[in-house]
Amino acid sequence: MNRRKMLSLLGMSPALLAGANAEAQQAKPKPKSAAATSSAYQVEGLNPKGTPPPIQLIPMAPRLDSLDGKTVWLIDTGFEGGGFLLQQIQLWFKQNMPTVNAVFRRKAGPYMEDDPALWQEIKAKGHAAIMAIGH
Amino acid sequence: MVTRAFKELAILNVAKRGMPHLRITFTPHPVAAKTPEQLRAYIEGNDPISGKPMMKEIVDALTVPLSADEKKTGLVEVSIGPPKYGPDTPKNLQQFYHDNGMTDFLPVIIPTKEEVAEMLEATSHKPDELVGQMAGGAYPPWSYTVRQVAINAVMAGCKPEYFPIILAIASSGTPSLMSSTNSFAYAAVINGPIRDKLNMNYGIGALGPFAQPNAAIGRAWTLVSRNLANGGIPGDTYMGSQGNNLNYNNLIMAENEAASPWVPLSVQKGFKPGENVVSLFRGLGIVPGQGARGTSTDTPKYEEQFSDLFSVFTGFFGGLVVADPLIAANLKDRGYDTKDKLIDWLYKNTTQSVKDYKSRDFAYGFDYPRALKGLEPYKTWYAMPDDAVIPRWPHRDDINVVVLGGQTNAFFQGGSLSYTVSVSIDKWT
Repeated sequence: MNRRKMLSLLGMSPALLAGANAEAQQAKPKPKSAAATSSAYQVEGLNPKGTPPPIQLIPMAPRLDSLDGKTVWLIDTGFEGGGFLLQQIQLWFKQNMPTVNAVFRRKAGPYMEDDPALWQEIKAKGHAAIMAIGH
Repeated sequence: MVTRAFKELAILNVAKRGMPHLRITFTPHPVAAKTPEQLRAYIEGNDPISGKPMMKEIVDALTVPLSADEKKTGLVEVSIGPPKYGPDTPKNLQQFYHDNGMTDFLPVIIPTKEEVAEMLEATSHKPDELVGQMAGGAYPPWSYTVRQVAINAVMAGCKPEYFPIILAIASSGTPSLMSSTNSFAYAAVINGPIRDKLNMNYGIGALGPFAQPNAAIGRAWTLVSRNLANGGIPGDTYMGSQGNNLNYNNLIMAENEAASPWVPLSVQKGFKPGENVVSLFRGLGIVPGQGARGTSTDTPKYEEQFSDLFSVFTGFFGGLVVADPLIAANLKDRGYDTKDKLIDWLYKNTTQSVKDYKSRDFAYGFDYPRALKGLEPYKTWYAMPDDAVIPRWPHRDDINVVVLGGQTNAFFQGGSLSYTVSVSIDKWT
């Protein structure tokens, strides 16, 4: 499926991809119709695409009324630099919103591995979470 | 939070995972190798995509009530378009496939119904049978049937008799186009009598453009990855910063079993001699051996030369020795009468310092978290002093050996390539 069409189906503006550097899978002209070409020899080509899974929409978690007195977890996935960026954000909260308890944590395992124990800990002890990837 | 270089990836990733309205704040890129002061300037500045003050945007993302769209649930079907294109001239269709990202931008065979039917004759499996699933990026995998694989095999220029190999590769679910910002390469080692049946080249120029099956099978793997798994879309499912020329048709290695003094790779992996098997590898690429040293003497010591070559690799991926039969014969004469003896020597004698090991990004991103979880050998390695010497690879079986070449030169190459899986080709005939 064309990526812009997919975003439209999901209720997102295709303009979000404006300026993107990828060019493949954008809306491109379809093959000319038989009437539009002068060649006598014509063929049909089959679609080589596989079958994507349907997308199950997941509603976002309710937002907080305010961050005052709340615990916000800052989760480093392990990509280079991401942790240092989050530590600056932790410092920013301390200096600019001191009532916010900003907790920094690097998730367990390499970046592509799940860390269900941490997600449970955040649900039990936290109010919000920010994940950051680096590079 | 995501750096701006991954804007498109982030937007599409959350959409495909059912959270199209996930609130994302973008930072300048890169965040790696920046000082605290530079990172502080990032967060005190604006989100480079929205133009809004970054920290205000973050606080708003956590506190502004959800919109109706953000609360939506339901299932959204994703279409891949019509089952066929045209009718049109072959030239126009060719361009259509290129323009819609379904090729490697070299001419393809138009997959007509007749061509695909002929391909399907080469397997006993039904056209609608599900072959497998493959993820072309950090997304939920796509699935595909025998017919869908056949369409791609036609496009790549495969003869029908190559088709069981393509099905075997596709059934593994291993894409040859990896989404990583590194620019990955892939290899397939083919063993068994099918090499001769297809006239695969495992002699002079075995890794060059000198045989149709070697070329087309490798190319089909890339088209399969592109079309059946939605892989290889720069900025979306492919993020390799520089790309890899090997991705055009990958490293297809038919092992020179007749000239090798050792058992075929497939037998090492548990298959019987005479079975047709394809074994897959993933990594960063392959490096020529810079010309063998010592061939004018009676003791060339090729194992030391392999070790020297591998010492420039990170060790994050496995080591794949690709040796000409001349080298294999010499090594056997010198006591390495099995591949395992050579592998054992390489594991023990290709080393690195703990300091060098820890300095690598791969170690920081992958091995250090494993060490924290108590996994070996990472836990032990991270507890050792910087000047301690450790093996280049975590495990002995990270090293593999393949013999191919035409014996015109005692030549070898070293792959930074990890073994992933071996699949029966016979199962797909």
